[in-house]
Amino acid sequence: MNLFMHKINKSFGANNVLTDVDFKLNSGEICALLGENGAGKSTLMNILGGVLPADSGTIEIDGKEVNFESPVDSLDAGIGFIHQELNLVNDLTIYENMFITHLPKKGLFLDTAEMIQKTEALFQRMDVDMDPRMMVRDLDASYKQIVEICRALLQDASLIIMDEPTTSLTEPEIRRVFAMMRTLKDRGVGIIFISHKLNEVMEICDRYTVLRDGNMVAEGLVSETNTHKLAAHMVGHEVTTEINTRSGQHGKEVLRLENLSDERHFRNISMAVHAGEVLGVTGLLGDGRSELFQTVFGAMNTKHEGKIFLDGAEIHVRNTHQALDHGIAYLPRNRKENAILKDMTILDNGSIVYLPKIVRGLFIDQKRQEALFQKEVDELRIKMSDKFNLITSLSGGNQQKVVLAKWLMSDPKVLILDNPTQGVDVGAKEEIYQIIHRLADTGVAIIVLSSEAQEIVRVCDRSWVMFHGEQVGLVEGDDMNEHNIMYLATGGNAA
Amino acid sequence: MEKSKKENKGFISWFKDNWEHNSLFSTLFALLVMVLIQCVVMWNNAGSFAGLFPKMRMAWLNILRNNAYAGIIALGMCFVIISGGIDLSVGSMLCCLGAILLYLIEPNFGLLLKIGLTGPLAYALSIIVLVCIGYVFGHLNGSLVAYGKLPPFIATLGTMKIFRSVTQQLTKKFNPTVPAGFKAITSTKINGQVILPIIYWITIVILMHIIFKKTAFGRQTIAIGSNERAAKLSGINVNMTKRNIYSLCGVMCAIAAIIYIARIGSMDFANAGNGYEMDAIMAVVVGGTAMSGGRGSVIGAFLGMLITGVMNNILNSVGVPTFLCEAVKGVIIIFAVLLQKKDNA
Repeated sequence: MNLFMHKINKSFGANNVLTDVDFKLNSGEICALLGENGAGKSTLMNILGGVLPADSGTIEIDGKEVNFESPVDSLDAGIGFIHQELNLVNDLTIYENMFITHLPKKGLFLDTAEMIQKTEALFQRMDVDMDPRMMVRDLDASYKQIVEICRALLQDASLIIMDEPTTSLTEPEIRRVFAMMRTLKDRGVGIIFISHKLNEVMEICDRYTVLRDGNMVAEGLVSETNTHKLAAHMVGHEVTTEINTRSGQHGKEVLRLENLSDERHFRNISMAVHAGEVLGVTGLLGDGRSELFQTVFGAMNTKHEGKIFLDGAEIHVRNTHQALDHGIAYLPRNRKENAILKDMTILDNGSIVYLPKIVRGLFIDQKRQEALFQKEVDELRIKMSDKFNLITSLSGGNQQKVVLAKWLMSDPKVLILDNPTQGVDVGAKEEIYQIIHRLADTGVAIIVLSSEAQEIVRVCDRSWVMFHGEQVGLVEGDDMNEHNIMYLATGGNAA
Repeated sequence: MEKSKKENKGFISWFKDNWEHNSLFSTLFALLVMVLIQCVVMWNNAGSFAGLFPKMRMAWLNILRNNAYAGIIALGMCFVIISGGIDLSVGSMLCCLGAILLYLIEPNFGLLLKIGLTGPLAYALSIIVLVCIGYVFGHLNGSLVAYGKLPPFIATLGTMKIFRSVTQQLTKKFNPTVPAGFKAITSTKINGQVILPIIYWITIVILMHIIFKKTAFGRQTIAIGSNERAAKLSGINVNMTKRNIYSLCGVMCAIAAIIYIARIGSMDFANAGNGYEMDAIMAVVVGGTAMSGGRGSVIGAFLGMLITGVMNNILNSVGVPTFLCEAVKGVIIIFAVLLQKKDNA
């Protein structure tokens, strides 16, 4: 089937997400859809998948215009959408999952024999070696992908959208999925491959389309490009970002990691951060930086190997209160899930970390609690009407500052900020950057984890780039620019 | 401060605002409505307005006295539920602790007698020992939940069965009496009335309220119930705090057991404390505490207990059959939670 999406426009409120985007795909072709986070890839695919309606523009399949009002319409037209978080029921067998949308019946009961037989036939055609009677929970992530692909095929899909299928896969698993994709291609199925990993794109795809800020900025044959060019397209040349002009004096080494590995998220990480330094750690989804520093903070339950040194002495942090005692602070990503105590007041949220230390006798010294919090409020310029209101009454930026305040009150030696400007508007972002620099000037060792290259360039003195759980490069000085970061983060010099 | 701001907009909007946002206010209002209904019923029964007051006085003394045990347990339960857990073992624990207390103070073959202790010193020691054992029992629940990572429902369902059955087996040939001196702990009359259980209850309400509002432990309890992950990422020792919460609940059971034994003077080991866990949960929930944790108050649990108490009293006064009383309780708890849902939206 030949797909042609023409002049697709979509906006959410005043925000233009897609502007006159053209996209085409021929049968038997694998096309990469590339772009940074927020470039509009998901929106475009959701329009194709019938999840979202386009504001304007047409979708043609084999020259005929189609109109998708729901995911069912899209599926009926032969488009299978494989989401990043797989839609399989773990507690059912493979064949039950394959037929979950319309289970075949014989009389009152399920026609198990037919389901198994049809599944086996399809597996054979696709060169997949699996027993349909296996429980889905016993499959590894790549086989789950394959089951989902097969399910789409069973529903007569002749075009399959794969949204970052390889992020949670190991190398051999990736090989398996790629083999499946090649089989599909040979059978004339078209595939849209959304990925951040440019070397994978170079390997498996025929064509590419790059989106940036809702515009299609480049397309062409993969054989005529390279990862450098693709990374440049994704970032764009005209983007000018403020860069870090801070010239702070770095003190002695505060935190050092030596050969830190855990079971699955990161391997052989060694890095050090000094007093007064802002160290960045960046990468794309699935790079393991968040898990790495949650391990340092004692918040992961997984086993790890390697050593962590604080002020030159080895420390063993098994849980978060030990980290707190060592002077390590961690501002988590996903504020709503990981940081906000929604039933508590602004004051309580802002002092929950330090609360045990401001107890006089048995009771909380409320005067001191309020005074300490007020100091942070002034320092961070938190805007609020009443500190006894619930935290949820604040804007995202101010909530984030309150979360920051609770850690600053504890006077940390090392401050780890995981996506510190997530869900924060532009003005508040800049404020948070300035706060980070002010803190560094007072001698705190700061680690900023972020997937936004612009943010790293703006706020960090130097930065490690991670790819798939490994540190692939250090950028500093003039080398620290978006192109280099994107090149490394997409696995540019790996493999 | 919120009040003065809202009062300008008139009583109705002030009321509506509080009704929707302040669960303690709606609980108090519900209690007030119940008391009004109670007044009408009493007035009707007494036949005259003058006869209302002695009747009400008696009714309230009974309500407060009869609910003191479950009421004290509800205070511990309140902490557990606010932290996002549940403790089903409280009733069995009360029974088990009661048995232990009887073994200690029995006037003919009690353990303390055997080591030569009698009188007030023995009673004081037995109280201390029992509170410690209650703490240990709670500790067991808390450890299963915090370190064993068991769902609180399962962990305490297990210990509930254990406490009850072990108690019943060990007390098969046990027919204890309670020394008069120990009974004096609750039965000493003040102004001609037995009001000591009530005084204990209210004192503990105040103590627990202060713990809830004024200590780091109280704040951390809310934090864990509100968002356990965020609490952990705020450097709170979540496991230790959880363990302490269940221990506190165990201590409340011990206190309830002491008052129970001193007041009733005996214990039916097969049935004592049966259903107390549900009564306590009901009081906590009717008092505006969310089963999902994070929101609630000690005072609410107290008021919740009073609401169910007044309810029972009214139903008895108008002659509703005992079996149907439970149905009415059921209706109340469902209503209370329906009202809470509105609060969430």
